Amino acid sequence: MADERGLMARVARGDQGAFGDLVQRYSGKLLAVAGRLLGSRADAEDAVQRTLLQCYAGAAGYNPRWAVSTWLYRILTNVCVDELRRRGVRTAHAEGSAGRPEASSSHLPPAAYLDLHRALERVPREARVLLALRYVDGLSYGELARIRGITINTVKSQLARGKALLRDELAKRGAGHE
Amino acid sequence: MSDGKAQDHLDRLLAEYFRAEPAPAGLGRRIAAAARGPRAELTRLEARLGIEATPRGVSRVRLGRSRRPATAAARRLAEQAREEIHEYLRGQRAFFRVPVDLADVPDFQRRVLEAARLIPFGEARPYAWIAARVGHPRAVRAVGTALGRNPVPLILPCHRVWRSDGGLGGYIFGAAVKDRLAALERATPVLEGCTSTRIVCRVGCIHGRHMRPDNRVVFASVDDARSVGYRPCKVCRPAA
Repeated sequence: MADERGLMARVARGDQGAFGDLVQRYSGKLLAVAGRLLGSRADAEDAVQRTLLQCYAGAAGYNPRWAVSTWLYRILTNVCVDELRRRGVRTAHAEGSAGRPEASSSHLPPAAYLDLHRALERVPREARVLLALRYVDGLSYGELARIRGITINTVKSQLARGKALLRDELAKRGAGHE
Repeated sequence: MSDGKAQDHLDRLLAEYFRAEPAPAGLGRRIAAAARGPRAELTRLEARLGIEATPRGVSRVRLGRSRRPATAAARRLAEQAREEIHEYLRGQRAFFRVPVDLADVPDFQRRVLEAARLIPFGEARPYAWIAARVGHPRAVRAVGTALGRNPVPLILPCHRVWRSDGGLGGYIFGAAVKDRLAALERATPVLEGCTSTRIVCRVGCIHGRHMRPDNRVVFASVDDARSVGYRPCKVCRPAA
């Protein structure tokens, strides 16, 4: 943890090597969250790029009371949620033009991936964001609450509601059980 | 299958679905290069803007010097416009509150500008979309001319109107600025919540100015914010 904060202090001083380390360390996880929230690899890379850029530009304002990962996830979810908003507007404007998911990078069999992807689309946005953070990095309820600025009880109820919806959706598709 | 087992299976599925992947090679280099990218274009634009207002609203935004405001009310509105444009160009504002005065604008042009105002922040529409909205679907060229003479660019968003083939089209401050504005709006969120007050505002609301960066969370809709315990601001009324 101290090591992470030292890294941020170096980034704040404009150390490009430190920034490279930061990118190396976190971009995989950030990409996984963004990719699953946004559905397309290109949009996810763009979101991660914007997140890391904001991190680079705002490193001097980083508050060491935050874990670096929590801080990065806050920025990333802010970027992704706004992208989802824009996409909602765009879809309403040009019905049916929204991008389809890219399953190629998944470790799951294609059918299971697609079922889960479609089921996740039925889960409300805020719960989906929390599920992504929880399963990419195993974040605690406390960290999730801090990232989205909500109470721990809201985190718990959103996750439970999201998973209940997922179970129902997967059962309907006959894919939720082995 | 028992509930517990179903849950375990769902957990496994989710863990697989969300498994992290290695970052693409060269991402760090690309980001560092982008960090040094040009933002100066918009700063230069802002420094050269002349803003005029009447007591009813902003009447002219152009490059170069502006005439002195005739009244105190006009001066206040010109100052408000300058402040809002400053915040907008820094990515801290997603809407304009300052009124505009289009009294001297011909009827067709006024309707074109009002149609452009309906394009959501961060979005773009083709010239033909505006032509259809004002009831003259074939008057695409006239729409282009009307937008080109927009007396209050930036505040009335003629920069959100592009060619149907995705090309930028012309712009009063030049195509490079139009491109930068599109990128700026893409990177500026529209709704932000304050984690300490649990209030959600439009970006640019007076409440947001006092918000610490640590306390800032972005939402995709007011309903999303409500679903996790936030309420809409009574000043900027984001739900309206």
